[in-house]
Amino acid sequence: MKGLLITEKLTKYFGGLKAVDGVNIEVGEGELVGLIGPNGAGKTTLFNLISGFLKPTIGRILFRGQEIQGLPPHRIAALGIGRTFQIPKPFADLSVLDNVLVAYGHPFYHSIKAFNSRYRMPKFVAIVEEILEKTGLLPYANARAGDLPIGLKRQLEIARALALNPSLLLLDEPATGLVYEEMLQLLGLIRSLNAEGITIILVEHNMPFAMKLCERIIVMAHGQVIAEGTPEEVRRNPKVIEAYLGHKDYA
Amino acid sequence: MASFGQLLANGIVLGCIYIFIAIGLTMVYGILKILHVAHAAIYTIGAAVGLAIFQLCNNFWLALFLAMLVSGVAGMLVYQGVYRRVLNAPRIVPLIISIGLFTLVQDLLQKDWLLGPYMHAFNVNLNFADVKTSMFRLTSVEVVILTLAIIFLAAVYIILTKTRIGLAWRASAQDTEMAAALGVNINWVIALNFLLGSALAGAAGVLVGVYYNNVYATMGNVPSYKAFVVIVLGGMGNVTGTIVAGLFLALAETFLVATVGFVLPRDAIAFLLLILVLMFRPRGLFSRG
Amino acid sequence: MIEAIFGQYTISVLIFSGIWAVLTLSLNILTGYAGQVSLGHAAFFGIGAYTSALLTTRYGWHFLPAFIGAMLITAVVGGFLGLPSLRVRHDFLVLATMGINFVVVGVFKYTEFFGGSMGIINIRKPVLFGIVLSGEKFLVLVLAYLAFTVWLSYYIARTWAGLAFNAIRADEEAAEAMGVSVPRFKIYAFIISSALAGGAGSLYAHFLGSIFPDHFAFAESIAILSMLVFGGLGTIRGALLGAMVLKALPEYLRIVGDYRYTIYGGILVLMMLFQPMGIIGDGSWLWKKWQEWRKK
Repeated sequence: MKGLLITEKLTKYFGGLKAVDGVNIEVGEGELVGLIGPNGAGKTTLFNLISGFLKPTIGRILFRGQEIQGLPPHRIAALGIGRTFQIPKPFADLSVLDNVLVAYGHPFYHSIKAFNSRYRMPKFVAIVEEILEKTGLLPYANARAGDLPIGLKRQLEIARALALNPSLLLLDEPATGLVYEEMLQLLGLIRSLNAEGITIILVEHNMPFAMKLCERIIVMAHGQVIAEGTPEEVRRNPKVIEAYLGHKDYA
Repeated sequence: MASFGQLLANGIVLGCIYIFIAIGLTMVYGILKILHVAHAAIYTIGAAVGLAIFQLCNNFWLALFLAMLVSGVAGMLVYQGVYRRVLNAPRIVPLIISIGLFTLVQDLLQKDWLLGPYMHAFNVNLNFADVKTSMFRLTSVEVVILTLAIIFLAAVYIILTKTRIGLAWRASAQDTEMAAALGVNINWVIALNFLLGSALAGAAGVLVGVYYNNVYATMGNVPSYKAFVVIVLGGMGNVTGTIVAGLFLALAETFLVATVGFVLPRDAIAFLLLILVLMFRPRGLFSRG
Repeated sequence: MIEAIFGQYTISVLIFSGIWAVLTLSLNILTGYAGQVSLGHAAFFGIGAYTSALLTTRYGWHFLPAFIGAMLITAVVGGFLGLPSLRVRHDFLVLATMGINFVVVGVFKYTEFFGGSMGIINIRKPVLFGIVLSGEKFLVLVLAYLAFTVWLSYYIARTWAGLAFNAIRADEEAAEAMGVSVPRFKIYAFIISSALAGGAGSLYAHFLGSIFPDHFAFAESIAILSMLVFGGLGTIRGALLGAMVLKALPEYLRIVGDYRYTIYGGILVLMMLFQPMGIIGDGSWLWKKWQEWRKK
């Protein structure tokens, strides 16, 4: 199975610090992969590299066989890779609907058509409303995004990424700060998105959540991949246990 | 053309003046992240008060002291009365307020019952001779400027590094919330910040007034913009960087104008530097970041 | 006819207010929509004024081509001068735009090509279709351009580009992650905003008849931004009101006229303390009252 996303010897230095060190991973089409590891393992840095917010010091990132490392984030989004942020970054004084519309409009931003077409057309709104419905945000469509509680802001992160019509979704700790019911809903949402064919990489601190959801887990520590496999395999891996025992922050 | 030694001496004296003005500005930015445009108004107030006191009692040192006192208090009032209320607003709000204050004060100063649209002489005889060496010559005013610079900057250095309140300032500049959580009385620190920085600006006003024998209502314009250049070059909020940057800018101006003969006026040097630094090294030429 | 009723003085005031309204509206696109705070907008005003003035006085162009030329050249230079916004934001951008303003005015003041501190004089009134536009006819021209600017502002706000601008203002990284090319749209904002300001500059030059570098200095940039913030940053109505009130009022109240800048400064301070969203901006007391009243 040729990977949808492949990283080769991906490395990122910040001064003397190796935040990501020689990471080789391969994620196949349709997979639901969990990326776990203690704080500072390099998970979010890896996401930032894949989504274009950081340029690697060494290494390549291939998406559908095309090199994407170093491309600006907006181009990577246009290629079909959507991401959420660990701390939600909504467009605070725009409505929830407009927030998602921003992402939905991505084909328009490349050309002069951006100046030529209205954005709040019924056909666009209808599709965005479907996305809002799927993520439980429809009742809040006209609310100011900055006023939403944190749980809904996280939903909004996912809704926006979905509007990019992504084939790959990078979810950065979507379950943090959610209560039990919300987590169940999120679980269901992620599963259904995956069932629709969207490949998902999930960074999660909440181990039970990640283990329950993902068929494959990649474990990082100190910038390197230290283990890979099914949840059971990973759970029993002595290197993983050692990486976590030194830290008091796993769920 | 003047000798290298002379240019160096002149440049250093000018640098001291820039430092006096810029220190207050960088200290305010360090803690509040506000571009304190009104600082230039305080500079002018210092010059005006210094001139007025001197005209009354003919004592330079008293005039300087009172100018610094009034400026320091004025600065504190600006914080307490105005900035303090908008600390949590979007950053454009304190910026516009500062601009408003500056505009207001400068316009008032131009009224006939204050400085008016005239230039006032500020002629002080300092009762000691110029310093002459083979390499350079310093007038008595320049000597005073240099000496005061050394004294004041040493004082600022000692306060910032050796006292508790200085430690509190440095902590607050790093992380205001954390410092407050640790029990630092932020308001005291900020108030002192304004007091010190504004007093130095007032001193600068007096010294410039005496040095160029000229006090006028709009004298704050050019130095204020240059002060911004200095704080960007030195790294916003970085006191040591500001000192180095002040000297650097003054020396650059002095030498460039004397040797190369610049196409644009001397003031443009500062702005070109500003744009270059902002484009290529926004954290400053001399910051440690 | 208006002239007969209101007098030539009123016409002049209206013309200036109209020109400044274009300036505030153009700055609104850059700062209000796209969030790029600029304290150097008067530079674009000046580039347009000088371009138009030079094209007509030195190269013999007619008004209309010179007006369009002014807008185009200001647009190109504006796009270029917008490059710092790709490197710095917020406070640093404010300082960069200040610096740009100074350098531009410095170029006007110290190069012979631009007339130096003597400025450009003998700029003639525009002639369109054989009619000399002065007095109320010039006012019609200004109002037409203002109407166009208002229309353009509304239009942009409704397009995907307008949405992209708002996204950039709200959160640049998130905008990038959602497919918005932030650098490109920032430059678009500079191009559009400076082109409009350049057109205003052309009108200004031809109305006044002579222009000098200090007309376009930092103080003027402050004034334009202040008018916009006073009225309501981000809103078209705010831009219009700010320019009208803060440009016209001092002309009419003599006492105010003498203490114009004191009051200006005072208004800015009070506004930011009590109504930072502007007099009729979104969320201001007046605007909320208006919306409540409309619901009844």
